[in-house]
Amino acid sequence: MKALFILSFSFIFSTQVLALTLPDGEALRALPVQADGRIKPYDTFAREMLEIVYGKGSFEGRKPHEVILTWMLSPAAWENKELFEVRNHEVLKALNLNPERKRFKGQEVFANDRFTLLRQELQEKRETKEKLTPYFQALQRLENQYFVFTEMATGRLMKVMPVAESKNWKSVAELDGEAQKDFLEMSGKFITYIAAMAESKPANEVSEKARALDLAVKKFQETARSHNPAAYAENSKIETEIHYNLFHPFRWAYSLYILAACVILLLWVLKKDSWMKWAWMMVAAGFLLHTYGFALRVYLTGRPPVSNMYETVVWVAWGAVVFSAVLEFVYKFKIILLAGSLAGFIGMVIADTAPVILDPSLQPLEPVLRSNYWLIVHVMTITISYAAFLLAFILGDIGLIYYLRGEQAYKDKIKEIVLAIYRAKQIGVIFLAPGIILGGIWADYSWGRFWGWDPKETWALIALLGYIAVLHGRLIGWIKDFGMVVSGIMTFSLVVMAWYGVNFVLGAGLHSYGFGAGGVEYVSGFIAAHFLAIVYVVVVRRTRVKT
Amino acid sequence: MSAGGKSAFQKIIKKFASIKMAVVIIALLSILTAIGTFVEAKYDATAARKLVFESLWMFAILGLLSASLIAVMVDRWPWKKHHSAFVCAHIGILALLLGSLITWMYGLDGSVRVGIGETNRFVTVPQTDIIVYTSFDGNQFTKIFEREVDFFREPPRDNPFVVPGDQVKIKIVDYKPYVLSQNKVIEETNPRWGSAVRFQVSNARVNVIEWLAQRSPTSLVTHDFGPAKIHLGSAPLVGLGQNEIYLFPFKDKKNQWKIKYSLFGKKSIDPEKEGIIEEGGSFPTGWMGLEVKVLRFYPMAREEWDVKVRETPTPLTTEAVQVDFSGKKQWLLLNDTMKVFSENAVYYVSYANRRVDMGFPIQLREFIVDRYEGTMRAAAYKSHVIVPEVGEVEISMNEPLYNKGLTVYQSSFQDGPDGRPIASVFSVNYDPGRWLKYLGSLVMVIGIILLFYFRKRMSAKKLTS
Repeated sequence: MKALFILSFSFIFSTQVLALTLPDGEALRALPVQADGRIKPYDTFAREMLEIVYGKGSFEGRKPHEVILTWMLSPAAWENKELFEVRNHEVLKALNLNPERKRFKGQEVFANDRFTLLRQELQEKRETKEKLTPYFQALQRLENQYFVFTEMATGRLMKVMPVAESKNWKSVAELDGEAQKDFLEMSGKFITYIAAMAESKPANEVSEKARALDLAVKKFQETARSHNPAAYAENSKIETEIHYNLFHPFRWAYSLYILAACVILLLWVLKKDSWMKWAWMMVAAGFLLHTYGFALRVYLTGRPPVSNMYETVVWVAWGAVVFSAVLEFVYKFKIILLAGSLAGFIGMVIADTAPVILDPSLQPLEPVLRSNYWLIVHVMTITISYAAFLLAFILGDIGLIYYLRGEQAYKDKIKEIVLAIYRAKQIGVIFLAPGIILGGIWADYSWGRFWGWDPKETWALIALLGYIAVLHGRLIGWIKDFGMVVSGIMTFSLVVMAWYGVNFVLGAGLHSYGFGAGGVEYVSGFIAAHFLAIVYVVVVRRTRVKT
Repeated sequence: MSAGGKSAFQKIIKKFASIKMAVVIIALLSILTAIGTFVEAKYDATAARKLVFESLWMFAILGLLSASLIAVMVDRWPWKKHHSAFVCAHIGILALLLGSLITWMYGLDGSVRVGIGETNRFVTVPQTDIIVYTSFDGNQFTKIFEREVDFFREPPRDNPFVVPGDQVKIKIVDYKPYVLSQNKVIEETNPRWGSAVRFQVSNARVNVIEWLAQRSPTSLVTHDFGPAKIHLGSAPLVGLGQNEIYLFPFKDKKNQWKIKYSLFGKKSIDPEKEGIIEEGGSFPTGWMGLEVKVLRFYPMAREEWDVKVRETPTPLTTEAVQVDFSGKKQWLLLNDTMKVFSENAVYYVSYANRRVDMGFPIQLREFIVDRYEGTMRAAAYKSHVIVPEVGEVEISMNEPLYNKGLTVYQSSFQDGPDGRPIASVFSVNYDPGRWLKYLGSLVMVIGIILLFYFRKRMSAKKLTS
């Protein structure tokens, strides 16, 4: 069985990794494009644009790189497609659109007289420089969708050719001479290839068209490169980014984490302790891929990836797996590794499924965050402490289940969980306290003040105070085993506030480069559900004691 | 010390040294600071500072915390080896708190704005002052009153702030922390007022309509709209080689008010064009098809701020006080001055952030913004400044200048009307408590590490025994 597992795993893995070289007809995906202040492969560009406009990774089963180019080549074909995602009910109401639907045709939205009025409204709001409410943020997105689609359709958005005299690349609309000729040639080949596929032509005919397209792409790339070879993209980075997009190591990582969690659950039910090594192997494999994905992001952006919400979620999931593995190695309770793999799974799934809220794209940094040693150190230290607290939180959840199933029957399990929670909280405090101080050093170094009651730093302090209060309470016996389980869950809400709430709910202060919007209802619902669960368990315990 | 006294002292120590007390204090501190962050989110950092973080409540809780930290250490005296952990942690926290207190009391934290090519030696700090100047002849001004005020904490609404002096009938009767201002120009008859002009500069793409109002008949006011500057006041003899328009109000031979305009360009120091216009008149500038039109002209006028009060701040709001002068009420914005007349004197009332001399001037020679390729997004920015005795140095993000005990940090910059930066903003800081804060942090971290070290040894002992 072991051999079978390794064989099947390595087979799946290798087919995915070997997908590094693009199949015929897809050389286009590696075409360098200048956007958002960096050079990226057309594949990434197309994914991001489709995400903005359509809110999904593919359109009716077609890949972004096939879709986006046709916006430019035949915009008319898109007139009757429901391409534009509008989710905000207030905006839909203001546009007189059916709130039951989520996606609309361009003319339904933008040819609408009310759209012009709404744009003015947004502009007026912007001029007051007030914080944008969710309604105005939704309007802003709508305006951005309009901008992306029309600019793409006119060829102005996609900048494909470097120029000698400026850092601004030329867009498709600005091409002239040979470059224009080559681009047109490439577009023509693209259309015939897409058409051949759509009409299900014989395989050899399709692959012939595919190869012709690839050749045309190569030719255009050579022409573009010749205009400013130094400014053109390094092939290795483009290829690595394509590989990162295609392979998507984080998805593999969380699949392995959940598998590991399932194995641990199964081995309990079936009482097969020997299976634990499988769980370990899966966690290890998931962790390696997790780390690999991380390393790819570091290589592509040239900086440690902890500068936005998405990246910190990935980092915290990573840390939770590390801490759980260490504690599991020491205590061998099994339950710690279960909690760790669940933490890794939950973190990565959240990061992967909410691209609108947690932006996974590789973005350039704000000036204050660049080339700064202390920044990296303090953010990584503080967020890694959140990983330990996340572990304590999940252990708390598991503990709650045991309390519900019977305090006496699972006495030993509960003891184990409480010890693990205690250790996780200690680890968290060991990282959080110095992390906050390192943040002070960074603030002193870049802004000239050590502590300024900025909401982000204040909430990190509140979280620290919360955990310190719990640990002190444990010391004097105020907090007993049940208290440790409950506080593992409740104190984590302070971390959620410091980590997510300050940026997404308060939206104030100097850490504004991490601000975002959305998901507030899910996060507060999540916290509220846990508090209700705690109340429920408390009530159940009380009634048990009485009877 | 008597036995009874000692036991009372010990009782108090015991009370403060209890962990129960500590947990209560920690909880209170958490709640108060959490409230502070919500105040900051709803209002702004200043409000949070004044209402919460620098309030009596905060000082009381931090005082209690310090008392409790000290009490625990006194209570455990004489210390044993394993006590070193919590003693370190507690001394560290106390040093941190003391350092912060010293910074708060004796430190300096302000900002300096320097235009490109300009020099500035004054730091603007958050404290505000009311200053009154007076003049009997209109030329020589003397400061007759200056006092620090904090209207946010002590609003003058119920308790008006009166400028002392029998002659001076100036009172501050109201204060609003968040107002949006609009200037309003009112025609006057007193010749001590200057003139005001509402002008329009337009071509196919540009359309600027603004008021220019002189403070006194001899002052010069300027509106810069990027491609050119427009001034109200007398024109110089030679131009600066820039696109500039001077509008100069004067009385002609028939005692009629007219405006003389002079255009200076980039090619010559002499005026390119001169002429005379009245209200409603216009003239072409010759640059980019721009035409200047005088929409309104008041030979004598007063500029007043019309304020719109808001509940919450936006980046455009400012503070304003309402000045009562002999029963007449007017709004005065922060960092602005107001002119009022009595029968025989002129007063200037100023409500402004205090400006402190740094002891050295900063001259901004050059300001450089690096942008991310193909975008207007700033990637980094730096200022090349000249400071006497230091020479020319570069100040950039995270690379401050240290001079004469002060630290000058690159903070931000201001864009001009054409989108190019025109000024660099530095934050200037003097922090006498810094070393104590760093020392405290270090000692505290050592304490935390020791804490876990001893805990581990103790539990190991328990297991073996």
